[in-house]
Amino acid sequence: MRTLDWMVLILSLVTIVGYGLYKGRGSSTIQSYLLADKSLPWWAMGLSIMATQASAITFIGTTGQAYVDGMRFVQFYFGLPLAMIIISATVVPFFHKAGVVTAYEFLEQRFDAKTRLAASIIFLIQRGLGVGLALYAPAVVLSVILGWSERVTVLIMAGVVVSYAVPGGIKAVTWTDVQQMMLIFLGILGAFFAAVWLMPSDVSFGDALFLAGASGKLNAVDFSLDPNNRYTVWSGLIGGMFLALSYFGCDQSQVQRYLTGKSVGHSRTSLIFNAIVKVPLQFFILLTGAMVFVFYQFERPPLLFNKTAETRIEQAGRAGNALAGVQYQAALEQYNEALEERRDAAYRLLEARRNGSPAADPAELRDANRAVDAARREGITAVELAGDGRPYDDTNYIFMTFVTTYFPVGAVGLIIAAIFAAAMSTISAELNSLATTSMIDIYRRHFHRGATDRHYVFIAKSATAFWGLYAAVFAFFGGRLGSLIEAVNLVGSLFYGSLLGVFVLAFGFPSAKRHKYGVSGTGAFTGLVVGEIAILLTSWLTEISFLWYNVVGCVVVVSTGLLVSRFSRS
Amino acid sequence: MPRDLNDDRPPFLNTWGQLYAAIVVYLFVLIGLFYAFTRAYRISP
Repeated sequence: MRTLDWMVLILSLVTIVGYGLYKGRGSSTIQSYLLADKSLPWWAMGLSIMATQASAITFIGTTGQAYVDGMRFVQFYFGLPLAMIIISATVVPFFHKAGVVTAYEFLEQRFDAKTRLAASIIFLIQRGLGVGLALYAPAVVLSVILGWSERVTVLIMAGVVVSYAVPGGIKAVTWTDVQQMMLIFLGILGAFFAAVWLMPSDVSFGDALFLAGASGKLNAVDFSLDPNNRYTVWSGLIGGMFLALSYFGCDQSQVQRYLTGKSVGHSRTSLIFNAIVKVPLQFFILLTGAMVFVFYQFERPPLLFNKTAETRIEQAGRAGNALAGVQYQAALEQYNEALEERRDAAYRLLEARRNGSPAADPAELRDANRAVDAARREGITAVELAGDGRPYDDTNYIFMTFVTTYFPVGAVGLIIAAIFAAAMSTISAELNSLATTSMIDIYRRHFHRGATDRHYVFIAKSATAFWGLYAAVFAFFGGRLGSLIEAVNLVGSLFYGSLLGVFVLAFGFPSAKRHKYGVSGTGAFTGLVVGEIAILLTSWLTEISFLWYNVVGCVVVVSTGLLVSRFSRS
Repeated sequence: MPRDLNDDRPPFLNTWGQLYAAIVVYLFVLIGLFYAFTRAYRISP
């Protein structure tokens, strides 16, 4: 980072905070602080929905994922447009008509207070873990890239978000999301064009696509029926649809976005906007990662993208573990040789293609890629030996290493600002929704009813600050949590299915309050609990892709809820 | 420029049902394009 980069970053952060405070002024009632007086246009909500879902790790991790695994991750989003249609057609008018502030308030109208309480607690647990991770994960990467301590990075990110989210409420959060999404779009475009522009002068964009394809990175669509294959068209369309239904239909951090709409039409359109834009956007981000992969076939990539890993090896050497250092050096030599051969193989393949050779054989390049991967794995093994045995994964550092090493001055600052923007847009929406649920579903419902708006707004602001502090503390100790971080990554898939199931019961079936054969509160509550158990058992006992957990959870909750309602009546 | 939005009419096309159908078609066209892209750059050994 050079002076201009720092100026770009600081100016971006200051502008975001200032704009958020300006737009959030005057939020003195619950309707204003939590729902923006239902005044927001579809495009602001649409961009806010997109910004909330696109975290910093989505940005830097997705490009890294394409580098390592190709573009097949795009299939994860195939179900999203279908989910948006369903939510637009059903959930949006239900919520608007019900006049609720939270999604879980609706469950008490349909069923009973215990179902509402159970669902809101599940949300607070799951989103509480999520917001800590949303702060910790990018802080780890950014601290390495910027040379700051993790805690300084965490404090800056949390501090900036809290400074506008607490006073400004949802208006500040949404309008800063709009700004941040613009910055993210700019960052993605800039990264893609830079990756293509930085290729050797004798390698065209078409050549780059050819080499990416020959290396197996342009594997966007897979029609395999294997349920253990994580990313296929089917897991994306079906499993991805259920996940998107859960996230956008039942998670308050998204529901609150479109409850701020000035009409049902505006709320629906904000979701349709995401249905149209999201999949091509993800394709573009993944293609950028594939281009970074091709770039590194001509420029030497580091063996370890996380620079601190080499320090680990040196420390191990000083502590008497010389084996790791020896192994690492051997891997490095092997890696350098493999890189040379891979570059030569890439040029030979391009030459054959330009000469119109009918059978330009990519096997040589594929073998060269395997040799590079094998050498890298040896180096990674050395790092793991030098440490405490924890797995080493530098996927999230690949893109940032590329940016900070090769981008021109100013552009680095722009990309870093875009990553901060991605992190802050997610964190601010999560803090706002956690505070809303804490205040509306827990505090106002169970502890202090009938108070003034001024009191509840104060509680909501305090809750926002509390959750911001909580997220920072979680992130401070994140490094000690080890495998818990991996578990947290699965939290969404472990809880969403049961939440979705209870909302399917709420929207799709009559309530026992109004219909003789409707779903009762006991049925919904029991379904929620049994569905959750089913998901946990599925994750522990099977190897199926996590994208199917939502389907399992939803089906079990709905069937159990209907059965229990039926038999409790008889 | 989208029409003024209210509960009854979508930003384009005449009914929300038509818009939803158009999105479904759009999705499958997109998947088709991505599949063609995958096939075009998949080089068999």
